[in-house]
Parts: sequence; C-alpha cells; structure tokens
Amino acid sequence: MSLFAAAGAVFRREIRLFARRKSDWANPLMFFLIVCSLFPFAVGSEAERLRTIGIGVIFVGALLAAMLALPRLFDEDARDGSLELLLTSPEPLAGLILARVAALALALASALACVAPLFALFYALPAEVALTLAWAVLVAVPTLLLIGAIAAALLVSARGGAILTAVLVLPLAIPTLVFGAGAAQRVLYGESPLAELALQAAFLLLALALCPLAASAALKISTE
Amino acid sequence: MARTEQQSTERYGGRWFWRYASPAAFFPLAGRIERLCWAVAAVLGVLGLYLGLFRAPVDAQQGEVYRVIFIHVPAAWMAMIIYLAMAFWSLLGLWLGTRLSFMMSRALAPTGALMTLIALWTGAFWGRPTWGTYWVWDAKLTSFLILFFLYVGYIALAEAFDDVRKGDRASALIALVGAINVPIIYFAAVWWNSLHQGPSVVKQGGPSIAPIMLWAMLTMTFAFWAWCIAAAMHRVRSVIIERERNAVWMKPVVRGQAERERT
Amino acid sequence: MIWDSWTAFFDMGGRGYYVWMSFGFTALVLAAEGLLLRQRRAGAEAANDRAEEQGDDR
Repeated sequence: MSLFAAAGAVFRREIRLFARRKSDWANPLMFFLIVCSLFPFAVGSEAERLRTIGIGVIFVGALLAAMLALPRLFDEDARDGSLELLLTSPEPLAGLILARVAALALALASALACVAPLFALFYALPAEVALTLAWAVLVAVPTLLLIGAIAAALLVSARGGAILTAVLVLPLAIPTLVFGAGAAQRVLYGESPLAELALQAAFLLLALALCPLAASAALKISTE
Repeated sequence: MARTEQQSTERYGGRWFWRYASPAAFFPLAGRIERLCWAVAAVLGVLGLYLGLFRAPVDAQQGEVYRVIFIHVPAAWMAMIIYLAMAFWSLLGLWLGTRLSFMMSRALAPTGALMTLIALWTGAFWGRPTWGTYWVWDAKLTSFLILFFLYVGYIALAEAFDDVRKGDRASALIALVGAINVPIIYFAAVWWNSLHQGPSVVKQGGPSIAPIMLWAMLTMTFAFWAWCIAAAMHRVRSVIIERERNAVWMKPVVRGQAERERT
Repeated sequence: MIWDSWTAFFDMGGRGYYVWMSFGFTALVLAAEGLLLRQRRAGAEAANDRAEEQGDDR
C-alpha cells in the first residue's frame, strides 16, 4: 500500500467518524458560539464598541474552539490501541498524521468559518469584513491544528494534557492570529487584505511542511 | 573520581572535549566552573554597580532613571541567549542522544525564565517615567512576554512526565519548535505594531553614550553572564545528583562535596 | 563620586521609586534563585542519603 493510499484510508476513516459522532465538531462549535455571545454582555451592546472588538473576539474564539478539539487527535486512539497500529504502519508516520489533521481541519475549520460571518453581523461588522474573516479563520484554524498536533502528540499520555496543550500552542499561534485578524481589520479600514492573507497562507504552508514531521517525532517520543 | 576521569581519558583518548559528555567527568568540571563564575559574578557585579550608580554621569535626556539600563539590557540579552543555548543543547541531545545535553537544557530554563522576568519588570519601571506608561504593546515588549510564555511552557512540559527521559526529549522538541518560532513571532509583532500605529517608543539614547556608561554596561553584562553560568552549573549538578543517584562514582563525590560544604 | 549626599543618591533625581523598584526586584529575583538552587540541592542530597541508608541499590 502506498503512502497516498494509506493516508487516504486514514483520512476517510476520520471523516466517517466525524459523520457518526457529531459531538466531536459540534461541541467546539457550540463553545465558539457561546464565547462570542458572552462579550456583548461584558462590554455593552453599542454597535460602535462591538465593531472595535468584534474581529478580535471572533478570531480568538475560533482559535480557542479549535484548541478544544486537539485532544481528539490522538487521545482516544491511544486508549483503544489504534494508535499502536498507526505507529507500526510501514508508511511514514508524518504522512498519516497529516491525513488525520487534514480531516479534523476540514471538519472543524469549515464549520467555524461558516459560523464566523454570522457573528461578524452580530458584532455590527460590514458584510465584506465578515467574508474576509471567514477566509482568515479558514486558514488560521488548520495552522493552529497543525502546531497543536505537535503538543497533542507529546501529551498523549501526560498529566494535565489539555491545559498544558493550550500553554504550549497558543503563543505559537500568535503570527496567524496577527495576520488573520489584521486582514479583516484592513477591510474594515477600506484597504486590501491581500498582503495579510498571503502571509497567513505562507504560515499555513510552513506549518504544513514542518509540523507533521515534528508531530511524528513527538508521537514517537511520547509512546516509546 | 580520579579513577573515573582516568578511565574516560583512556576510552576517549585525546579528545578531551567529548569526555565531558559523561556526567561523571562533567560533575567536577561543572563544580570548578561554578565556583569561578560565582566569584566573577560577585566581583564584576559590585564593580558594575559602583560604575553604574556612583561613577556614570546623569543622562541628558532621561535623567537618573536611565540607570535601570545597567540591569535591564544585560537581563534581556541573557534571556535571549539562554533560550538559544537551551535550543542548542536540546538539538544536541535529540541528535546525539547525550544525557548531559538534556540536563543542561533543563538546568538553563529556570534561569532564562527569571532573566526574562527581570527584563520585563525593569522595562516596565523604566518605561513609566520615560514614556509615561508601564506597558506598551510594542514589538520588543510583546516578544519578551511571549518568550516568557515559551520558557514557562518548556518547564511545565518537562515536569509533566513521570518518565524523566520522556520529559527530556519532549521538552527538547518543544524548545526547538519555540526557537524556530521566535523570529516569526517577532516579525509578526513588528508588522502588527505598524498596522495598529502603536507608539514606537523603544529607541535607545542615541550614539552619544559616555564611555563610563558603556563600561558599566559591559561590566554588568559580564556579571550577568557569570551569574547565569554559575546558576546553570549549580542546577545541572543537582540534576546529576538526582539522576545518577545509583551510579557507583556518585557516592564518594557527593559525600565528599557535602562534607566540604559543611566544614 | 557624582552624588552630593546619600539622600541625593537614594532620591535619584526624583526617580528613586522607579530605579529602586527595578534594582530591588532584580535583587529579589536573584536571591530567590539562590534560595531555589540551595533547596533543590538539599533535596537531591537528602534523597541520596535516604537511598544510601536503606541500601537501595536499585
């Protein structure tokens, strides 16, 4: 079996699991919705104020929601033993990990990106900002998941894994946060968001190239 | 101890450097370096404080408060250098599998975190009278805050495993990931700052720095270097004692050292 | 010596609060690190002694 066939099989399995267990992606989505609705209660409901914080709140909310889904990558498989199968596979581990992250990213990023514009309207942001925000979330969430895969792989069997994952991953997600939120901000100022979106895409490509390798090294360390 | 050193000389021939990859050979050397560096840190620290507080003239633009520079800048340099050193030892450990490299990495981390904390704190107390605010979301300050988070994450991860070797290698990997990310984060922070028109405040006092100020700063920098090396050496020796508890060479060494310290 | 008196030295041209908060904090952190180093060494040696008394040669 070639790497592509194996990765394809892993990818299809993950997608099928998502289709069956909707809580895996529905719960982070609910979390996102609730976090975004809390802020107006805290800062007040004037449209002007909501517009200033809206982009940031929605973006950070999306990243936190994606963080919550990270344990799903390896934890359950470590418990039921299918992680061992992944590890003993003759195919390069990095490719298989990439397939899993890709499946999670596809399910979660698209769900979050669909909901983000809705909240942009709640925060009194114009429609074109909402659209840019959706694009930015669509790029940022996979980047975060790729970086997060390293931490999730390291902490498969460690104490206090979930909170430590957040401590390790969130600082590393700052660049994509800066440029993603920056892109939407540009549109709000009536400028072109292309430079920021391109840089954000560059980070995604860099993460695509490096993170699966680091994550496979991490998985080997934590499960040896 | 003498026998161990001799044995490792035989085994590694003239390549004296590699000999010290063995904790048994490195332990006494680390002790000698540590004692030397404590002494250097004390002497240079006193000298640097004397030069900086009693000899350096007042700064024309900033007034007396500029004297914070004599601890702020050395601490900031050490914060960055120690992270690089940590990443270097981590890389060496993952690459060559040398136990001592991981121990060095772990021994450096707390000192690095404290240096970052000093740099942040003194920066705040320098900034308040100079620019009117304790904190600005400036690229440099933000990067240092994130550097502090990276140190904390590294330490927390290293302690999260019951298996020492796992903790070593896991935290080494995170140190490398962090090292790759630090320049990217800095670049992002600079960009972000220009986007939001933040106040670009951190500009040093210009080229006309009095020679005595320069001397004070250099002296303090070397004092901080010596302190950090001494602290790291002390800590790495503690780590060696913790980990090599059951090695035959360890017992006389530790007992002898404990007795020396008591008398 | 650039100071007229010790009072002037501690006053730091009216900026004494900021200067001494910085230097004081640094001294505190360095002292804390020294203390932590000592504690860790003492802990390691105590564990070592315990292991030796019990003849624990794992």
